[in-house]
Amino acid sequence: MTTRPSRVGQLALPALAVVVAVALGGYAYRAAQDLGDPHFLTGYVLFGLMLGLVLLRGRKALSVVPLGRAAFWLRVHVVGGFLGVIVFWLHTGALWPIGLYEQLIAGLFYFVSASGIFGYVVQRAYPSRLTQTGREIIYERIPAAIAELRDAAEDVILECGEKTGSDTLAKYYVETFEWFFRQPRFFASNAVGAARGAHWTRHHCGTVARYLSSAEEPYLDKLADLLAAKVVIDTHYAAQRIMKTWLWGHVPASMALIVLAIWHFLAVNAYAL
Amino acid sequence: MATVTRPQRWDEPFGPDMTDEDVDWLLQRPEIAAIDSDAFPAHTPLAGILRNDTRLVRVSPGDIVVREGDYGNSAFLIVEGSLRVVLAPDLPEAVLGRQPAHRRGVFSALSQLWRNHRVAEARASRGARGTTTARRGDTSDAADTRVFLQDVPAVLDDYQTATLDEGALFGELAALGRVPRTATVFAETEGRLLEIRWQGLREFRRYDEGWRRRIDENYRRNALAVHLTESPLFAGLDPDSLQQVIDATLFETYGQFDWHVSYQKLRERGAVGAEHEPVIANVGDYPDGLLMVRAGFARVSAPIGNGHRTITYLGAGDYFGIESLYALWKGDSDRVLSTMLTALGYVDILRVPAPVLERYVFPNIDPPASRLALLDTRALEDDALTEWTLEQRFMNATQAMLIDLDKCVRCDDCVRACAAAHDGNPRFVRQGKTFDHWMVANACMHCIDPVCMIGCPTGAIHRTAQGGMVVINDDTCIGCGTCANSCPYGNIRMVEIRDPAGNTLRDDDHRPIHKATKCDLCAGQPGGPSCVRACPHDALRRQDFHGENLFTEAPR
Repeated sequence: MTTRPSRVGQLALPALAVVVAVALGGYAYRAAQDLGDPHFLTGYVLFGLMLGLVLLRGRKALSVVPLGRAAFWLRVHVVGGFLGVIVFWLHTGALWPIGLYEQLIAGLFYFVSASGIFGYVVQRAYPSRLTQTGREIIYERIPAAIAELRDAAEDVILECGEKTGSDTLAKYYVETFEWFFRQPRFFASNAVGAARGAHWTRHHCGTVARYLSSAEEPYLDKLADLLAAKVVIDTHYAAQRIMKTWLWGHVPASMALIVLAIWHFLAVNAYAL
Repeated sequence: MATVTRPQRWDEPFGPDMTDEDVDWLLQRPEIAAIDSDAFPAHTPLAGILRNDTRLVRVSPGDIVVREGDYGNSAFLIVEGSLRVVLAPDLPEAVLGRQPAHRRGVFSALSQLWRNHRVAEARASRGARGTTTARRGDTSDAADTRVFLQDVPAVLDDYQTATLDEGALFGELAALGRVPRTATVFAETEGRLLEIRWQGLREFRRYDEGWRRRIDENYRRNALAVHLTESPLFAGLDPDSLQQVIDATLFETYGQFDWHVSYQKLRERGAVGAEHEPVIANVGDYPDGLLMVRAGFARVSAPIGNGHRTITYLGAGDYFGIESLYALWKGDSDRVLSTMLTALGYVDILRVPAPVLERYVFPNIDPPASRLALLDTRALEDDALTEWTLEQRFMNATQAMLIDLDKCVRCDDCVRACAAAHDGNPRFVRQGKTFDHWMVANACMHCIDPVCMIGCPTGAIHRTAQGGMVVINDDTCIGCGTCANSCPYGNIRMVEIRDPAGNTLRDDDHRPIHKATKCDLCAGQPGGPSCVRACPHDALRRQDFHGENLFTEAPR
């Protein structure tokens, strides 16, 4: 049976990465002092690291085979990724290399690294935000959930018109709330953790409330509950979409980087040795 | 459209070799002849039960019929010969012939990547009918794990045993109670056994007064002896004193055996607190005996404000009221119960009268600690998790899928891993009840008391002999949906099955064929549950909710 690593176990990987980085940095410095060429060793290490980082995808695809916990693989991937950035700098000797091909590789490398860090951060930040909404919803079911809310809201509006004989709330619904219930809204606001959706619904409920009779007010209250539920779903949509789609940039770019790196590896070994 | 014959209860007889002559012969046996066959309904006749729910098993000297610790779904009636039951000490594992359960090899596991069906819930047409033979351990442990003792005389010399003669019934406790076998039984002579799978045993008990009385008496006598000796309170008693305790102990039952039905109704009404549960002992009652839980769960609570605050809950082997009884014995004559005991569903209680305790137990124990004292050191918030656990009846769980929502990135890698291990079909839904940042997902919890097994007409849902996991034999499932309706947690899903081309399989009346599906903890897969291994953020675990684990393993 697999078990979770202890706190000491969790620190072992970063510690190992620091040791490797320091050793490699020391070697590069000493080699430079001795007029040697450290780029081959740092290049091999970097190339090996990049291939190793790609293995996480393989581990995910081979979930039926006992290859250890995916959580361990992810830890290795994250620590290896940070180590890769340091080795990259040791290898290139600069933040931005010269030469078009090298710049292309460097651009992809920085994009992959930045997207990886972005993914790591959002995966740390978003889950608890979603928990705090008080509701769980599976991403694929969000359209159906919105449709249910929209139907319920329209039922409230129709009932309000039938029971009170007033169309004030119905008209306002068509002017404003119908737009809100049509699809997920306020994506950017929800992505950064702001509350524009909640503010918007409060504002519009307040705007229309002054024109409603006491008989209509309970219907606005019901509508406000549905709006609040929609705000929660919008939060889930934004956060879950970002947590799923950041990989759409990270993974293809990683593959492209590997292809370019292989060509770079072959070219260097063919012509520079 | 693919058409197959709809599966029926007795499509798969328990003993395929049972003949009409065997049934006629059994009907002449005194134990069977005494049964009033007219009491059985037309759709479940006595002869039909004998033909389909029983089988005749031949045994030779040394053959092990049941092994202590195995889960079994059948009972045995000795029709010829004699057997021995091992009383003490327990036989070593090697002597019992235990072997590790069959697991796939790495390459077999890997081959699932290309061998899994591309169509959801695909089955071969013949598989829908259940023409394959039951897998190892699917029906009973007798036929499938038959091992024998190499040296019977040595066992008889070295171990305390008792003889079971012709006409004796054994194994009914494990079969009906969904609990492990409590002793090992082996053949002493050549003989024949009538093995009755629990569905047949259930019908015997339901329709025949004599068998009901016999099963109940056996059940109570065996349960009492086992449970008393397992308790530290009685472990040190000499045989005579223990017999005095056994003779004086009373048996009580609270709640309903199929408690899930009433629980579902109560939950719909929001009536889930202690005040809505059957009261076993109330605050202010005069304690007249120690209450020991034999099976099921009970809640200990104390009044607070307008409700009841749960102090703890009791499972099999736990007891209630000892501190009050002890205080009375010490002369505190005004002492009454300060906490309430209520049934969480169905509870079997053993009541050991106070005079027996005062004579045989109290002189030998230290003063017990008061449960109420616990409350002084705990805030209401500290017990919120326990309250929620009992409200949802999760104390039944041994393998609940617990997801830390503060870590879960909702990537569904767990769902995909589950599907990959189950022919492309996930066996759980990543949704469920939440408490704080914890979610108990809709995955089978492999309950201590799996009520899903109660009504299964074919025994398709059963415990594995080793490990006691609750699994479904897809071959013998007839898709009646009884288990899915019985599961209080909604963790069993009925699915329409298809042929490999994607056509829904239908019976002669063009109705779709269904099968019950659920989490099987990736039985047979190497490495344990795929969902746990696949989670890249360590957000998912399988959690035993019983006892102290709730506080020590589930983060607060």
